[in-house]
Amino acid sequence: MRNLLNFLARYNNLIIFLILEGIAFYLLTSGNKYHNSRMLNSVRGITHGIEGKINNTRAYLGLREINEKLAAENVALKNSIGKLVKRDNPVFFSVEDSSNKQQYQHTSAEAIQNSINRQKNFFTINRGESQGIKVDMAVLSGNGVAGVIVGCSKNYSVAMSLLNLDFKLSARIKSNGYFGSLGWDGRDYRYAVLSEIPQHVLVNVGDTIETTGYSAIFPEGELIGTVSDYEKFGGDFYKITVLLMTDFKKLHFVDIIGNMKKTEQLELEKLYK
Amino acid sequence: MINSILRFGLIFILLILLQVLLFNNIQFSGYVNPYVYIMFILLLPVEIPSWLLLLLSFATGLIIDIFSGSPGMHTSATVLAGFVRPYVLRIVSPRDGYEPGSDPSMIIYGLRWFFSYALLMVVIHHTTLFYIEVFRFADFFRTMMRVILSTMFSMTFILLIEFYRRGK
Repeated sequence: MRNLLNFLARYNNLIIFLILEGIAFYLLTSGNKYHNSRMLNSVRGITHGIEGKINNTRAYLGLREINEKLAAENVALKNSIGKLVKRDNPVFFSVEDSSNKQQYQHTSAEAIQNSINRQKNFFTINRGESQGIKVDMAVLSGNGVAGVIVGCSKNYSVAMSLLNLDFKLSARIKSNGYFGSLGWDGRDYRYAVLSEIPQHVLVNVGDTIETTGYSAIFPEGELIGTVSDYEKFGGDFYKITVLLMTDFKKLHFVDIIGNMKKTEQLELEKLYK
Repeated sequence: MINSILRFGLIFILLILLQVLLFNNIQFSGYVNPYVYIMFILLLPVEIPSWLLLLLSFATGLIIDIFSGSPGMHTSATVLAGFVRPYVLRIVSPRDGYEPGSDPSMIIYGLRWFFSYALLMVVIHHTTLFYIEVFRFADFFRTMMRVILSTMFSMTFILLIEFYRRGK
């Protein structure tokens, strides 16, 4: 007993150190998975007040730019409405059966917390389960792909940013349809890397890269970026550097897209696996 | 006693605010993120009991983690920094030892001493932090590059703050 007490007295610092490091590593391994990070969501509730204030200031300073963007988007939407409405034949008109036709459901939100300076970046948006947000929904900025929802609380959601080493996305070259896997290499927040494009494919600088619909998360044909550079990598494939459309440093207003037919697709695919 | 608790409380709050509001938003080319909050661990009195030092390190790291949404990352790096601090102090100790009841600051022990002390601590902290962040040894040298560059920036800011404190 005395020996034990002596031992404890002698190494008490080491013991405290080990206990504290143990707690830290427990947090590190369990908290970072984000899918079951209840603690994180509740803790984030506390810091939201401060983050919200910082965010408000930032949004205010960027109002002019946001206005221009919204105006441009309005024009584009009006144009597309103009194409849809048929004015010259009032007797016959088509009825849109929305329950069958609509596949993707859009929700707008604001990113209230964002980071770009880590290797595994996440951002928080101000919509949650009460607004119909679920895990695995796609997040787009006004210009292109931004991330995927990985955790929801009642009124907030955490999304894994495209700027995350764990983020992988099926993407293709718009001009010829060849698809590969797109991910971030952790270097520059403006660029991502598209791999698995075979070398016989013709690639040009400036080619548009867009999403494929294969994952059932992102709708088909959403913009990701443009080819800024490519080089031969290994024997068979290109390594293509993609200039991202989304400016993550200014990420603020985002669209969240839910695929209403996702379960149907996944269940069918499960049958053949 | 009360006085020094107040003083360190103030330093603590100021450094955390600086880190969360200013330095967390700094990013040059993906390589440089200064982490200046570690300065709080540097400045605590020489004779602080080790258990208190460890607990304070833990609290500091945890608060930074909460604000940057990265559970455990800063906590583990900062606790390690708190654990090695007594050894670092022993390694760099000035020729006539430490004055009883003094703070390890530039004002008392001079620039050269403070520089080597802070550099050792910051390197230990940043190395742990950046390798825990990527959590793998692929891209070993790129992570090392980030450690070196970020250390340079953190050191610059820490020395600036120390000079400012001396000037007052």
